[in-house]
Amino acid sequence: MNDYELKTRREFLRTGLLGGSLCWTLPAFLSRTMESLHAQADGALIQGVTGRDGNILVVLQLAGGNDGLNTVIPIGNDEYRKARPTLGLPDPSILRIDPQTGLHPSLSGLASTYQDGHLAIVQGVGYPNPNRSHFRSTEIWATGVDSDKSSTTGWIGRYFDNACSGCDASVGIAMASQLPQSFTASTPKGVLYQGGGGAKKKTSKKKGIVAVDGDSSMMAMEDEEAGGEAGGSIGMLNGPGNLGQLSALDFLERTEMDAKVSQQEIAKASAKAKNSVPYPGSRLGQNFAMVSRLIAGGMPTRIYYLSLGGFDTHTQQAGAHERLLKDMGDSVAAFLADLKAQGNLGRVTLMTFSEFGRRVKENASGGTDHGAAAPLFLAGGGVKPGLLGQMPSLAPQDLWDGDVKYNTDFRSVYATILEKHLGVKSEPILRKSFPLLPAYG
Amino acid sequence: MATLNASDWDRNKAGILLQRAGFGGTPREVDSLAALSPAEAADFLLGPARLVSPEPPSFLEESGMEEALKAERAKMDSLSDSAKADARREVAQYLRANQGRQMTELRGWWLKQMAEPARATREKLTLFLHGHFATSFEKVRSPYLLYQQNSLFREKGYGMWSDLVLGVAQDPAMLIYLDGAKSRAEAPNENFARELFELFTLGEGNYTEKDIQESARAFTGWGIGADKGKKGGLQRGSYPSFKNMPKWHDTGSKTIFGATGNFDGSDVVRLTLAQAAAPRWITQKLWKFYAGWPAPEPLLQELVREWQSLKGEIRPFLIAMWTNPNFYDPVRAADRVKSPAEWLVGLCRQIGRPLPASALSANILTQLGQNLFEPPNVKGWDGGIAWINTSSISRRYEYGSWLVEGTQGLQKLSSLNMAKMAGESGLMKMSLPEISPEGMVTSHGAKDMDPFEKRAALEKMKEAVALSPAPVTDIANSEQRQSPEKLLATLSSRFLSGETIPEDLRARFQQAAGEKLPFTDAAVRKMILAIVQSPLYQVT
Repeated sequence: MNDYELKTRREFLRTGLLGGSLCWTLPAFLSRTMESLHAQADGALIQGVTGRDGNILVVLQLAGGNDGLNTVIPIGNDEYRKARPTLGLPDPSILRIDPQTGLHPSLSGLASTYQDGHLAIVQGVGYPNPNRSHFRSTEIWATGVDSDKSSTTGWIGRYFDNACSGCDASVGIAMASQLPQSFTASTPKGVLYQGGGGAKKKTSKKKGIVAVDGDSSMMAMEDEEAGGEAGGSIGMLNGPGNLGQLSALDFLERTEMDAKVSQQEIAKASAKAKNSVPYPGSRLGQNFAMVSRLIAGGMPTRIYYLSLGGFDTHTQQAGAHERLLKDMGDSVAAFLADLKAQGNLGRVTLMTFSEFGRRVKENASGGTDHGAAAPLFLAGGGVKPGLLGQMPSLAPQDLWDGDVKYNTDFRSVYATILEKHLGVKSEPILRKSFPLLPAYG
Repeated sequence: MATLNASDWDRNKAGILLQRAGFGGTPREVDSLAALSPAEAADFLLGPARLVSPEPPSFLEESGMEEALKAERAKMDSLSDSAKADARREVAQYLRANQGRQMTELRGWWLKQMAEPARATREKLTLFLHGHFATSFEKVRSPYLLYQQNSLFREKGYGMWSDLVLGVAQDPAMLIYLDGAKSRAEAPNENFARELFELFTLGEGNYTEKDIQESARAFTGWGIGADKGKKGGLQRGSYPSFKNMPKWHDTGSKTIFGATGNFDGSDVVRLTLAQAAAPRWITQKLWKFYAGWPAPEPLLQELVREWQSLKGEIRPFLIAMWTNPNFYDPVRAADRVKSPAEWLVGLCRQIGRPLPASALSANILTQLGQNLFEPPNVKGWDGGIAWINTSSISRRYEYGSWLVEGTQGLQKLSSLNMAKMAGESGLMKMSLPEISPEGMVTSHGAKDMDPFEKRAALEKMKEAVALSPAPVTDIANSEQRQSPEKLLATLSSRFLSGETIPEDLRARFQQAAGEKLPFTDAAVRKMILAIVQSPLYQVT
């Protein structure tokens, strides 16, 4: 949009634009925001976590409530057969992790990640007094507070506040149409990147009216048609933003500048790098391809956030769930293989989560209703492979209102990642101390 | 409830009301509102209590397709299995493309209603209700049923809240979206009951899991069916409507909110709306939507009392809200962020341009985060500052540049997928696949179009995107073009009514027009663009 070559916000500040010659795209009215940034920029000189080779967390949200019991499946379990007469997966089809536990047959991508030694499965993850509302439970996972409390900031936002107070907004990038609620910080951080921008699509270099190549966008058209997500009423799940101390107008001004700075950063980083493995053509696959390019291109981003919707499978779950898991497994496997080829696998941990699992007993519409605890995946070069936590008991007397009980608090997962991977103290961020999991070597 | 005095009513407040109650308008409209009393202005904007129905979208008239499809399907029976699968896929692809085209028309049709000055206020309420009772094409897959639901909001929006909630509970699109249509006595589906309480009427914490389970039982039997068919459920190709199916209803006793009886869906709606949380929930949502910030406790109590004295009738409640002095609180004047629909329709109205073609308008809204008829989830759009992020603000500026300066802004429209739009706007020829007895499928979908045809369609799309600069001759007269101060006064009265312009921003707007006096049309557009590409324009 303009001729300025702005690399980072700090550089932007160092060039002394405050009071300097301003073109219309960097207007004078930004000064109020600029003053507050100046204060922060001083601090930025001493903070250490934002180097270009620091560790990275990639969060993958499975929105709608993933059926954990059909993701990580108990083998030879009578209670499972009884509760899932039609949805239960037959034992021989399950991809074995150990004699009692295996993965859904469509998760072959993750199974090979496990074979390669880069996947940990945390079982029975949840929290006390589970809430079965999509929105409330997503909020509990996003804020990381007890289910009877609330918080105006998200756990990732508090990580930004604590560990990267002076860094660019692009310390967090969400591949989404809205910032995730977990990004909400006292000082707003995080930028959005939309539109897949897949490796398959070529953008016309020609100057002219149409910047999108006709043929390649034709393919995009077919992709979208083939899409069609299951579990309709819950697609994307995002919480409302939070203003912190800013007024709506200040927030707008700030966002305007973040947009200008980060757009150039992202364009530069992604142009530098190429994907070295093929990715699924799905939106998720293409988003992972983009994240991989941004990492290879040297973005100083610490947290990437992706989301896959459609897990609210109240009716006719089998086919829909299979497609969703396949999309997830194949995309994650491609991403990890790409990172390995780049030499970045050791820097990255990927964590999946969903707001809740689903009811143990299937319903009469060939689906499952909202549940409670569920397993999640941790993947990456530093992750110690294996099964963590316990497979929850499915015996009726052990269930809570028909749902499995948690044995690992989700904040133990957060704490482990914060301490062992991102190298920060977890207690100030999670406001409590949680036992760490042996997920890292 | 506290009411504005006629003496406190001025042009400034009239401008705020025109923007918030509808989609904004011209300085002349503001003047005529300012000449009325506050209550008269609100009443005038709302228009007659009874709906004057708009001309429906033309896709509803399309006929013959079902017959043609039936014929093609009959031919399929004679095919080999693999040819049958191919043919099915072709037909399904055609149907999807056709639905996509109908949805584009429906979106464009609705935006056009919003842009009608006499309809704007009712359409704004319809937009609120669409977000409140969020229902998405992604699951419903029927442009017709979404149009029906949209019409329900339009017809019942001014009436009693209880009628509206009941209407939604029996609305076919909602019955599909939240699985009510599949819920039966032996396996009640909790989806609708849960969202009815959590999102539509009460809010979290005002019901128990037991209330949900029992209400789900009470709703069983409310489903959809084609009127003609004997079988329950939905038959292919027919337009379904609400159908009460006693065989599917759980006739046992239920306990809901402490009351026990053989309740059905109407009883659940009645019992729910009698809860103390019910008027608080809807009045707060309405206030927040129109004012832009949540009502604090004393004000909320005032709103609830007003709502109760009106027995939940929406039109008079809107008048009460819009004549409350707090609605115009100058401290909160810049706290309400325009939704993408409000932004697009409002800008076109202010610069005196017709809305862009349906496919373009629909695409712009999608890019800005408000794909009509496809809200992100059952909670609808979060609204407020959630409309604004690094990506959406850049796009508002890009599209703003295109609408104000025309073709000059075109290179910036790279985020629009032209080919997709060309397909949806009907520029690409699409017809039913032809299935021959030999199993050959000849499709004329966009996919199989020859390169020449494709190019031609894209060229046409480019033409559709090509836009002349906004006509500004009448926006500022020769006297108003004599100084930057005068021009800004004229333009801010049109584009920023009710907003105070900070000094630094004022300087920036004035500089944008350059120094050459009197200002030419191009210079006027430069200043308009500076206003549109500013944070201040995004709020109202």
